[in-house]
Amino acid sequence: MDHFARLGLPAALELEPASLDRAYFALQRQWHPDRFANRPAEERARASAEAAALNDAYRTLKDPLSRAFYLAELKGVALPGDGKTIDDPDLLMEAMEAREALHEAQTVEAIDKLAVEARDEVKQALGNLGTLFLRGDKPAIRKALLRLRYLDKFADEARTRRANLERSSA
Amino acid sequence: MAYSDKLIDHYENPRNIGSLDKNDDDVGTGLVGAPACGDVMKLQIKVGPDGLIEDAKFKTFGCGSAIASSSLVTEWVKGKTIDEAGTIKNTDIAKHLALPPVKIHCSVLAEDAIKAAIADYRAKAVQKTEPQAGKPADQTAEAAE
Repeated sequence: MDHFARLGLPAALELEPASLDRAYFALQRQWHPDRFANRPAEERARASAEAAALNDAYRTLKDPLSRAFYLAELKGVALPGDGKTIDDPDLLMEAMEAREALHEAQTVEAIDKLAVEARDEVKQALGNLGTLFLRGDKPAIRKALLRLRYLDKFADEARTRRANLERSSA
Repeated sequence: MAYSDKLIDHYENPRNIGSLDKNDDDVGTGLVGAPACGDVMKLQIKVGPDGLIEDAKFKTFGCGSAIASSSLVTEWVKGKTIDEAGTIKNTDIAKHLALPPVKIHCSVLAEDAIKAAIADYRAKAVQKTEPQAGKPADQTAEAAE
């Protein structure tokens, strides 16, 4: 059973955080181990397996980016795995320039500015991605997800650089 | 994890960091990425009139192994013909730097980068012999703002 089905939700990128929470907490109550404390061992095992699967589903779907990657997998969009390289010039040029700008940013403020811009890019890209999923445009979904992966990496690097900068100036 | 001295040396004192003019006809540029780890690598070669690679530069945003792999490749290709440079294998890079198994993909990236740079140089050479009027200028220079 896929994560969307497990939570009784439609398999789509757009998902109200409140409905996800509602579905998760209701099912989590239903399969809570306390309710199975006096039940036979196999029922207890089933309940704990269900609870674990629910947690997994919730964690995957809660974050929009991880939801997007999961949905792509469900829809059969193949992304390059470990050790696979890409040579899309637009995407890589953008990634290279962003990382260069981050590398050159010397103040926390400068880094924050870049991070905010990147966050807006992510938001916008996720918005567009919703439409691409509805249209089922696999090549475009793939391209958008690769870009999101680089934007996500950028956010990681920005956090690291910010922390290093704060530590060295403290 | 124990990294080899060669790897640490290339990481701490990377050779040939920088850029060459990618619009120069004698310069080939390879830009490749490994999306699974978010690495991006640019490797450039400048080929002299004698057909030998006279300069090579790289810029890599990635882990230490990716930086060391690209640094090593720029060092290796200098003075070679592009045919010779094209025979560099990721396994040679991985072996020289004693890359741990989980970092082998970094050497794959470096091999793909030099191959892409050679392909770019060759494509430019072909274009030079078959001049096309009104070719659009390179638009990637002012991307992303």
